[in-house]
Amino acid sequence: MTFPPERNLFLTEALNELSDGLYGYAMVLSRDRSEAEDLVQETCVRAIQAIENLRPGSNVKSWLFTILRNIWLNRLRRRRTAPKMVELDGAESTAQTAVAASKDPHALYVSKVERQLVREAILQLSDEFREIIVLREYGDLSYQEIASILGCPAGTVMSRLGRARSKLRSLLSGSLRTPDRREKGATE
Amino acid sequence: MNQCDEHHADILLYLDNALTREKLENFRAHLEVCCDCRERLEEERALSSLLRETRPLYVAPQALLTRIALAATEQAAAISRASVRSRKTRMQHLTRWLLDLCQPAFRWKPLAAMILAMVLGLVFIPDAVQRVRATDYVEAATRIHRSYLDGILPLQCRARSPDEITTWLAGKTPFHFQLPASQSVPNSKPVYWLTGASLVSYKGSPAALVGYETPTEKISLVIASSRSAVVAGGQQVRSGGLSFHYRSGANFQVITWTNHGLTYALVSSSTDSPQRSCLVCHQDMADQNLFKH
Repeated sequence: MTFPPERNLFLTEALNELSDGLYGYAMVLSRDRSEAEDLVQETCVRAIQAIENLRPGSNVKSWLFTILRNIWLNRLRRRRTAPKMVELDGAESTAQTAVAASKDPHALYVSKVERQLVREAILQLSDEFREIIVLREYGDLSYQEIASILGCPAGTVMSRLGRARSKLRSLLSGSLRTPDRREKGATE
Repeated sequence: MNQCDEHHADILLYLDNALTREKLENFRAHLEVCCDCRERLEEERALSSLLRETRPLYVAPQALLTRIALAATEQAAAISRASVRSRKTRMQHLTRWLLDLCQPAFRWKPLAAMILAMVLGLVFIPDAVQRVRATDYVEAATRIHRSYLDGILPLQCRARSPDEITTWLAGKTPFHFQLPASQSVPNSKPVYWLTGASLVSYKGSPAALVGYETPTEKISLVIASSRSAVVAGGQQVRSGGLSFHYRSGANFQVITWTNHGLTYALVSSSTDSPQRSCLVCHQDMADQNLFKH
């Protein structure tokens, strides 16, 4: 995603398009709904304030994720305490229901259950695994973009992602089996 | 690393359609003969499919989207208001001055007041200008620090050694700047360490940003030529033949000083004591104990 001259309009569109991704990232970082909302809002305000300094051709998507991550890290530094753990099981937002409204009731139920299982599994991952899974699988960021956000080489991103996925697979294997394993499980 | 280990690394790239043609052919050939890798591929494919089906993992609440839209609108309006207000105030002042001059009953008292104001102005204006310029430098340094904290301004040179940073900056700025080399003090634990440097701009000229870090915060040292950046105002403290100007805001504290034709601004969070900020330069020096309390 690059940056054309119509800055403000483009930024507003980018924020709309990326709001779920940014919010998801904020949720896995903070594990707290109101904190996540606050992080996304502050990210947007900072981005709007700094938009004039952004060079044309910059990658707005990774820029926004980087701002969010830095705001979070600064908050952590200031607090000097571990992030608080908050139970995430709560009522789904109306927006979430709206997204899934097109599915039939059974599909809706399965999707909701699966999403919850995946969320729980992701929250059991270590901070660095959780972060990389969300950036790659839910933020749709390239290895290079993730490398720039995390400040590490792309090779590190790939190897860390491989390990994170492996861990996630093992966490999900009890509840959600892969086709192969399901077949094996059925014959056992 | 055996052949399977090598191909495990390619599985994700294969699923992303990111393998080069040669690697893709090798990988497919390997899959034909390797049951383990086929199974691993299916597991990865199933995981990818599951993760895709659960997108988005979280949906931003509508209330948040509304707040963002409001914040964007307010921000745009504030920028527009500030620009209009500044233009309007300048025009009002100019208009009033012109109207006063055109008054038919132009009496001697206002003229005397004007002359007095001009005389006083000649005395005080240089000081006022100096203060405005100093405030401008403090604000610029704070903006640079905020951008550095937010990651908008990444460090172009990442280094922990003063020599490396001095070498990297050499020739990039119109002034010569040398970070003091470390003089290790026995049994001393570092309070701050260097993280790197970046080139920034102040009044259209290159200036330097040197980054420091503690376990709890990031600190910026902004260096510009004293021709464009001046120091004045704030709480003034004299130490070691230099005058330090200390200002503290809601979020940051800024210490400015000049030395050998350069103007420095040290920006840190307002939670720590100003003396401790001095350790950025003094922690490896013999006088470090003066700043630890």
